[in-house]
Amino acid sequence: MSLTGFEFYATTILIYGAVDAMACLGLNMQFGVAGISNFGFIIFQAAGAYAAAVLSLPPAATSNGGFQSYILGWNLPWPLPWIGAALAGGLVALPFVFLVGKRLRGDFAAIGLLVSAVLLNLLVTNYVPLFNGDAGLSIVPSPLQNIFNAQGVGYQFAYSGVAIALTIGIYFLLRRITESPYGRSLRAMRDNDIVADSLGKDLRSQRTGMLVLGGMIAGLSGGILVGFITLWAPAAWGYAETIVLFAAVIIGGAGNHKGAILGAILVPLGFEEVTRFLPSIGSPAFIPAMEWVLIGLLIITFLWFRPQGVIPEKRRILSHASGSVTVAAPPPDFDVTTDSPAEIDASGRDDSSDQLGDGPLESPGSTASTVTTVHENGPSSESSHDVILATRGLTKSFNSVTVVSEVDISITRGRLTGLIGPNGAGKSTTLALLAGTLKPSGGQIIYDGNDITSLASYRRARAGLVRTFQLANEFKRLTVLENLVCAMPRQPGDSFFGSLRGRRYWGAAERTNIERAEATLEQFGLSAHADTYAGQLSGGQRRLVEIMRALLAEPTVLLLDEPMAGVHPNLARRIGNHLTDLCANGMTIVMVEHELAIMDEFCNPVVVMAEGRVLAEGTMAELRTKSEVVEAYLVG
Amino acid sequence: MSVFMPSFGFGLISAAVLAIAAVGFTMQFAVTNVLNLAYGSIMINSAFVTYWVNRTGVSVWLALFVGVACGAVVSWCLNRFIYTPFQRRNPAAITVVIVSLGVDLIGTFGLQAIISGSDVSYIMSQGRELHILGMDLSVVELIIFAICAVVLVSVRLLLKFSRLGKAMRATAANRSLARNSGVKTDLIVSLTWLISGALCGLAGTVFAIDAGTFGATSAELYVVLILAAVFLGGPGEPYGAMLGALTIGLATEISAAYLTSDYKEVVAFLVLLGMLAFRPFGLFGSEKTS
Amino acid sequence: MSVELSRPGVVLNASGLSAGYEGRAIVSDITIEAQPGHVVSVVGPNGSGKSTLLKSLVGVVRVLEGHVTVDGKEITNQTPEHVATLGVGYVPQIDDVFPPLSVKENLEIGGYLLKRGDVASRVEAVLAFFPKLSAMLARRAGKLSGGERKMLAMGRVLMLSPSVLILDEPTANLAPLVATQLLEEYVRGFADAGATVLIVEQRAKAALRISDWTYVLGGGRVVLSGPPKELEQNPVFVDSFLGGGTRR
Repeated sequence: MSLTGFEFYATTILIYGAVDAMACLGLNMQFGVAGISNFGFIIFQAAGAYAAAVLSLPPAATSNGGFQSYILGWNLPWPLPWIGAALAGGLVALPFVFLVGKRLRGDFAAIGLLVSAVLLNLLVTNYVPLFNGDAGLSIVPSPLQNIFNAQGVGYQFAYSGVAIALTIGIYFLLRRITESPYGRSLRAMRDNDIVADSLGKDLRSQRTGMLVLGGMIAGLSGGILVGFITLWAPAAWGYAETIVLFAAVIIGGAGNHKGAILGAILVPLGFEEVTRFLPSIGSPAFIPAMEWVLIGLLIITFLWFRPQGVIPEKRRILSHASGSVTVAAPPPDFDVTTDSPAEIDASGRDDSSDQLGDGPLESPGSTASTVTTVHENGPSSESSHDVILATRGLTKSFNSVTVVSEVDISITRGRLTGLIGPNGAGKSTTLALLAGTLKPSGGQIIYDGNDITSLASYRRARAGLVRTFQLANEFKRLTVLENLVCAMPRQPGDSFFGSLRGRRYWGAAERTNIERAEATLEQFGLSAHADTYAGQLSGGQRRLVEIMRALLAEPTVLLLDEPMAGVHPNLARRIGNHLTDLCANGMTIVMVEHELAIMDEFCNPVVVMAEGRVLAEGTMAELRTKSEVVEAYLVG
Repeated sequence: MSVFMPSFGFGLISAAVLAIAAVGFTMQFAVTNVLNLAYGSIMINSAFVTYWVNRTGVSVWLALFVGVACGAVVSWCLNRFIYTPFQRRNPAAITVVIVSLGVDLIGTFGLQAIISGSDVSYIMSQGRELHILGMDLSVVELIIFAICAVVLVSVRLLLKFSRLGKAMRATAANRSLARNSGVKTDLIVSLTWLISGALCGLAGTVFAIDAGTFGATSAELYVVLILAAVFLGGPGEPYGAMLGALTIGLATEISAAYLTSDYKEVVAFLVLLGMLAFRPFGLFGSEKTS
Repeated sequence: MSVELSRPGVVLNASGLSAGYEGRAIVSDITIEAQPGHVVSVVGPNGSGKSTLLKSLVGVVRVLEGHVTVDGKEITNQTPEHVATLGVGYVPQIDDVFPPLSVKENLEIGGYLLKRGDVASRVEAVLAFFPKLSAMLARRAGKLSGGERKMLAMGRVLMLSPSVLILDEPTANLAPLVATQLLEEYVRGFADAGATVLIVEQRAKAALRISDWTYVLGGGRVVLSGPPKELEQNPVFVDSFLGGGTRR
């Protein structure tokens, strides 16, 4: 019994739809969630299709008189070719890791992947022994065709059923990963990779994971497709096919897996089907060409008018909105009603001086709850004058201009050390060198007795050396609460395999983390904004988010780059008090700051830098008596 | 006689065409930071404009000027009405690249829809074959080479000695400071897109002349060669692009002579991948401090 | 000191000025004036809006309210390239040169608005003022040291013989001796030659030494103003700005 026209049409649509949806899901995971612009995505689908074909085909010499040549030809039974397809997609992804490493700017990496797709297509087209060259592979066996009639209705519907089931399975798998702490880290990397790195996220590992996972999904989709259409040639995977998938993801809604599926239905599938029913206009090449034109137009139109797509990424609500927020909220430690730079008022306002009179409300004990004190000696570390962080001959040059030159500093444990100096003195660069954001041109950095000069920045963050940035650096499309929880160390769900084990595995830790983050939010008076996108906050609020986030990363040494810039002076003072409390509980803080009044009040010792060198060190009172400091900085 | 000198000759002509294209591409990147992947489609559209004029009986060497004008105008419009509005929104760099891919699809396949897919040739004579230093070159190829030489010297003179050229370089280096110095940078950016677009149109036409027959998708992969030349010399560096084009042009043709012509672009692709992976700022470029 | 380097100064005036980004004011209700032959300095803590104020005067940052005039002519929200044609020279704090261009080319771009024939002689005049630059005409500006670079930045602005000079923290990142020389010799020199000079400085006391009038900014507003001698005596000034030993 053979298929009627309609049955053939229905199964074809179902299988193509499943394959396209699967590919879009994989691409969306890479592009929409992890921010990897994989312009070579089609490579992985092709790898899977070829793998499935040569695994299921009989040896080349024996097949139909050997009219096509190819490698392997292992004649494997289903489902081995499909498994092979997925593995091939994943393996082929590995060499591309070097292109999406953390140093190359995103559009350059994308170009590299695009070129790789073109290059590989060219090689496969011209090197016949591999996959039969330009002509491609044909009469690829369908799965289990020796048992069932591959042309039968039942078989065809079963095939589409399996394809759809696998797509649904992949949807749930990806959702499980995306909604886990690991998924949050991926989205943080997408929003700002340098900051994610500074909070201990291993960018290379995360990007490798997503390249391989996306590659496996693409590979499987290729395997399913080739088992159905029974042929596969270079013409099927031109680099432009990737653009179609990008168009689908952008139109459907990048970052949302439902959007990816919708995009797959609208763009690759929808286009094919709609044009099927168009009367032929002009030459045979006209309609296919106009399809491409329309895809180009849709990409540009959507990116301009609706860049978030038809189904936008949804906001994740983490807070226990009704539960933990007390009705009569106690006055928070931090008042952020006056936080925009425009509202800073150096002369002081009456009402805010009143607030200043309230002083810090929290006792040192409760502030300590936001920080896990790594050091055994606790609050009385003032007595132990040990050095936790030191540099020797630290030097940094950009294009033969030396910005930091032969710097030797020693940071004492449990102290709030200030770093001051004129603009361009090399303070921020020094901080970046300590945190590993920049690689030194020379010299050594010793942390807790170990030489960390060549340690990657994310490893330093995991070892307790955490920095903040001078400019606002929130993860814009994460909520405030997500920003905070994201930074917390030792999350069981913050690894690829941890995320696969599901909420049952990481849920309890997540709840505790959220509670801690909410407590911190309350302390800083930002509870009302827990579920606001961080990108929508005002400048001062974003600074607070950044400080909270750094604190929740449980630093041993906290490196702050102008944390008070653009913050109301009274609020700055409160932050200063809070930092002092943290130091009293064993934390070590290094703070770059311009306002000498802040230095006077909170920092001891203060290191003065000028022209890339350390000029002097001491209390502000001592520094004022030193002529070279006065010369360079206070007076000029 | 070895195959070296003949392939060297081919390489020089390929390099000449590529150099014209690459200089235009890199100038666009320098002033607006756009990797304009639609460049190849504008090239081929310009080549077809030349073709249509050529069909009316006009000599291809005159029709070429219409193609050049087409490249200039289309490129200017593209920057003015698409890239600039997108860039005003401060998107991720990748957004503009995706937009340029969209434009590329529209340009390439829009043309495809119009010309209904068949390949065409200019009506022109190839001229005599000449033997120079072991290279077999036709008169047309020599003309292409001469055009390239004139263009590159002109670009060099423009950038190095003219007031406009210096203003273009200043605008590329620091647009805000250029404005403070009295440079009307919007005008300079427009002129840069007109000039680089003219180079694009010229490159398209000489590419088509060199190719003999061409269709709507003939330049589809050419942008990859351009990218290879541009990245070899450092993106945004016109002299680097010239040098890169020479290297890529010679390397592809000479490797084609010794290996097989099927793989001749492979060298270019591998060079580009290597540059991206290890020295994305070019052989002579240096990383920006910021 | 070559007197013809700058044209006779004209009055620069801003009244009721508010300016900022995306409709949000960073500086509000600022009224300042600079007279020919005077150095007028603007000092204040970091983040008080000093740089934004200067940028709003030359058209880099949008003016939301108020007026800016030069010699009585309205220049509010004119484009930077137009402001340059009116004899207002502006040296930003960072990105103050064109790094890939040679020293000579930087100066030539500075003289972009001059008649073609006048550029070469003008370059000579500026080089006579900064003889150190003459030895490095072919060097790329990106390879200069901090002091040389700042000289080039000032030289670029002098190419148009400005009547008003606006300098944003010219001594940032300079060695103390170089900074002192720059302020006392060059900046003061411009004013003594008749130009109007408006300068933002973080080395407050050094700025006061060369100024005829000083405005103190805090939180985007003028909190104090007066002759430097008076300000130095004012405890509010010392306390709010220098954070000196008077507190507690």
